[in-house]
Amino acid sequence: MLKRIEQSPPLTLLVVAAAFFVYGYSTSLFKITDFIIFTIFVLGFDMAYGQMGKLSFGHMLYYGAGSYGAGLCAIHVYPDPFLAILAGMIFGAALGLILGPVLVKLKGAAFALSNLAFNQLGYFLVLVPFAPVTGGEDGISLSFNSYGFIDFSDFNFRFYFYLACLLGVVFLYQRFTRAPYGIFLRATKENEIRVRFLGYNTQVFKVVTFVISTTLSGLAGALNALNLQFTNTSLIDPTRSVEVIFAALMGGAGNVLGAVMGGMAFMTIRQYLADYLVRWEMFLGIALLFIAFKLRKGLYGVLAKG
Amino acid sequence: MLLSVENLDVHYGSAQVLHNVSLHLNPGELVCIVGRNGAGKTTLLKTIGGFHAPSRGKVSFKGQDILGLPPEKVALKGLKYVFQDKRVFGELSVRDNMELAAFPTKEPLSEAVAKLVAIHPKMEKLLGSKAKGLSGGERQILLIGRALVGAPELLLIDEPTEGLAAIIIGQIVQILLSVKSKLSMIVVEQNLSTVARLADRIYIMKEGAIHREITDPEIIRQPSLYENDL
Repeated sequence: MLKRIEQSPPLTLLVVAAAFFVYGYSTSLFKITDFIIFTIFVLGFDMAYGQMGKLSFGHMLYYGAGSYGAGLCAIHVYPDPFLAILAGMIFGAALGLILGPVLVKLKGAAFALSNLAFNQLGYFLVLVPFAPVTGGEDGISLSFNSYGFIDFSDFNFRFYFYLACLLGVVFLYQRFTRAPYGIFLRATKENEIRVRFLGYNTQVFKVVTFVISTTLSGLAGALNALNLQFTNTSLIDPTRSVEVIFAALMGGAGNVLGAVMGGMAFMTIRQYLADYLVRWEMFLGIALLFIAFKLRKGLYGVLAKG
Repeated sequence: MLLSVENLDVHYGSAQVLHNVSLHLNPGELVCIVGRNGAGKTTLLKTIGGFHAPSRGKVSFKGQDILGLPPEKVALKGLKYVFQDKRVFGELSVRDNMELAAFPTKEPLSEAVAKLVAIHPKMEKLLGSKAKGLSGGERQILLIGRALVGAPELLLIDEPTEGLAAIIIGQIVQILLSVKSKLSMIVVEQNLSTVARLADRIYIMKEGAIHREITDPEIIRQPSLYENDL
């Protein structure tokens, strides 16, 4: 059933839109915008991990870059919300372009830890040397222009706009992961040397995929800055990179519906479990162990089999 | 001359595995390289294909120096490599394997698939199947079909019949003979009866060096005349 949905891009968009719509109206549109932002972040992360097999322990760097890019643009350039989103994406893409050529050459633990190291470096730069610009630990408050009904302080508008962004990302994700680019990605993940012998410069393709991943993460960060109307160091904190890894694993890496389910499931646990369990993070740890040993393909794997 | 290899030395760390290897290949020729395990046959093929950097020597393809070029550039010049281990992209379908090969050469997928079906019509029914479900022989045929995409001029094929049943070996030999008129090949092979059916010329390798070259068709067809040289 899930595979059939995923094979049809319009059906996938419909299912994703319906899921957030129903969830949003049955709980809170205000809360669900957080879910949507995080799901975009999971999709960005999954381009690197699920599609390329590159597990990053430092993806908060690109999320944070998007958030600060949007915030600094609003303060120092012009408080236009769309310009801020574009700036956030450019910040994410620029970091991907600068770091990607070096990082994608690395494999396994080296890739994961190098991302973490750059994330740590970025966190420190934002916290201390750039504090006069970034506001250090306190962060910076933001305000954005509104144009009639286009008002980012209205959570109803934010919900619909962010949902449209998510659907756009889902559409792009599916376009990129279908033939022939998707075939290339899956083959490279399986055996890069053999792909090179077919005539592909795998380095270029891997950098492009990494930049797509960091740009989408930057987009998520920028949307978060607009959502919260501020940005601070918690949005670039390397210890939070585990959240997106957890969500991708929980949903099932390497497919769009898995990423969406992972994003929704993680945020549900984080938002609602805390009401019942004081140390809710412990539940996440146990769940991660269960996924690692029993559900290697995540929720998507379970539901696709069922 | 299509390919010329001159005075090739290759080291793995401090160990020298190829010693002053020279060989050549004319257009339309099928040359077999034979030798015992560890003689340096695969290393020679991989060095020509751009996988290993030699410490000395020269490799020219169509008069152009290709030494030091990365494998992807060597492939796009028309020199394709078929690996020994028969590893296809198992998670992809047979059609996707062909599409992967077709994309960088800009050959339409339909033409690429037609080439595969032409060398082995049964592959048409398997186009939608995941490649990991193919038998050893079917995998080898897929690898050869994939290498034919984009009108290559030279195939480097490493032990195409290794581990296959006799009936499948016969099919592989027929396929190689059927494409022989369209391109040149260097085939590393240990099965001398296969070599006798395929080769226009033979290089025998021993301890990392060319030990003997056989050009006489009468000798080539009688493995007993050179099996003691291995």
